[in-house]
Amino acid sequence: MYGSPSLARLAPLLALLVLGAVLPPLVPQYFLYLGNLLMMYAVLALGLDLLLGWAGQFAFAHIAFFGVGVYATVLLQTKLGLPYVVAMPAAALLAGAIGLIIAIPATRLRAVYLALATFAFAEGAQWVFNSWDTMTGGADGIRISSPSLFGYAMGSDPKAFPVMTVLLAVVIAATLYLTKSKFGRSMCAIRESEHAASASGIDVRGTKILVFAISAVYAGIAGGMYTLFNSFANPEVFGFTQIVLVLSMIVVGGLGTLPGVLIGVVLLGLMPEIMRTAMRHLLVWQELVYGVILIVAMMYMPRGIWGLLPRRRRRLARA
Amino acid sequence: MLPLILQAAASGVVTGCVYALIALSLVIVYKSTDVINFAGGEIVMIGGYFGMLALLSLELPYVTIFLFSAAATFALGAAFDRVVLNTVLGRASPGQSILVAMVIATVGLSYVLKGSVRVVPYTEEVRRLPPLFTGEPIFLGPVILQRQDIAIVVIAVLIMLALWAFFAFTLAGKALRATSQNPRAAALVGIPVRRMRMTVWGIASALAAVAGILLAPKLLMTPDMGVIVILAFAAAIIGGFASLPGCILGGIVLGVIQNLVGLLISSKAISVAPFLVIMLILVLRPQGLFGGPVVAKKV
Repeated sequence: MYGSPSLARLAPLLALLVLGAVLPPLVPQYFLYLGNLLMMYAVLALGLDLLLGWAGQFAFAHIAFFGVGVYATVLLQTKLGLPYVVAMPAAALLAGAIGLIIAIPATRLRAVYLALATFAFAEGAQWVFNSWDTMTGGADGIRISSPSLFGYAMGSDPKAFPVMTVLLAVVIAATLYLTKSKFGRSMCAIRESEHAASASGIDVRGTKILVFAISAVYAGIAGGMYTLFNSFANPEVFGFTQIVLVLSMIVVGGLGTLPGVLIGVVLLGLMPEIMRTAMRHLLVWQELVYGVILIVAMMYMPRGIWGLLPRRRRRLARA
Repeated sequence: MLPLILQAAASGVVTGCVYALIALSLVIVYKSTDVINFAGGEIVMIGGYFGMLALLSLELPYVTIFLFSAAATFALGAAFDRVVLNTVLGRASPGQSILVAMVIATVGLSYVLKGSVRVVPYTEEVRRLPPLFTGEPIFLGPVILQRQDIAIVVIAVLIMLALWAFFAFTLAGKALRATSQNPRAAALVGIPVRRMRMTVWGIASALAAVAGILLAPKLLMTPDMGVIVILAFAAAIIGGFASLPGCILGGIVLGVIQNLVGLLISSKAISVAPFLVIMLILVLRPQGLFGGPVVAKKV
């Protein structure tokens, strides 16, 4: 368990990269768009899962950091003329820095108070996105001009797809290393019992602040990914419904499990798209169906879909 | 300027009373089940619609729509606890945090309620409940009070008194308090803890529904009017999130703050005021303005 992830676990990432290189000319553009969307959600969800699934901190601020990532990536390019390769990591680090600042007071809070404080922060951030007209374009949104990467222009789904797979692979690899490390074990210990964790010499507060910041960096990266295949963003993209969607992905898939989170991302990420295209006359039912899925999932699989798999359950029983 | 401030404060008290009712509904659920009810706002919304259905389509008299809506939402809340939350609790394996699962289930409920209101053709046209009382406003020095607003305050205060009497003097109320203080000990002295939890969900939903009917004449009825719950969360946090008198005060304080911010700073800042209040209070004084010290649950 402890140490570096085995090569067998890193190998699927190579397959992901190969798919990224091979698929674009073969597959219709709409499917590539779906793939891009799911990869962006996967990064968002993995970041939130570090905080909620691994460290057990119930926080809602994630979507605000996603917004910071999108706006900062775009503005660093348009206002300062930075290239994407600099702007995107800078935006992710900015999101991480804001996450760090928020985490310092927020990690003093527990459970319901943390949830509400971060919820308030997310709503406040959305108000800023809505009101800071000169920077964010306010409620009208902001145009995203297609960034270019070493002279390779992005902006369309087939062109963005390989880059997205690279980013997702990097993020998954980082998650594997992170969760296998001593830091990953500290997070688990804090999730199980903060008292026991601090009694075993874990710096509870420092670890929590760091997880918060790392998860904000993930959200910032997802923001940078958003700008690769979209030409427009407005504050609605960073609203409460989005954070609930990402939260549902990890909870329905399986908290604290990488394959579970990815399953959740695919299922819940595709659902609105399927309802929008295949069942257009049923669109008005979307909220109802979504609510029923959430409730039923919580009633019958509190450990998520991944927790239902029998192989997994046996391993849990032995552990 | 002073009359303007007084006027703003007075109407802040009126809306604050409604926030306080919703906040009470959130806090009694939190106290007895540890769950933050993210469906609170949608229960307010559906309570308003039940009231409208009773008034406009069943043509019941105005007074009875409170009872109708409260009864309907009581059943709804109790059923949610009985069917959904009980199952979630029953399936949890030991040592697993089920709180997240229960909170997500309330988010699910909020979508179900919003979604079901949206698919009913009845809600397509935007409506508004007629005011409870009409007539000449009452002049109180420089302050003008609408009869409607006075009625809102009176009804809210009556409900709060009734709630207080229920918790203080009735056996069921005492059993509920015991259950929220320590469910295991309550079960040991023979209190049916599950039924008590169901009752709390019922009462909380009925409170929210009454708030919905009080709000409905002042706001347009839409399936999205549940966003008002954020103000109730702010009110509850000002009050410490675990104290009933605290959240009544918190509601009124918030209502007044909102109106004063709108008057003195800018109307654009009204919508962000509650979030700033939540963050400031949680950072500076997490136990709320009126709460005691925060007690962390060990183990």
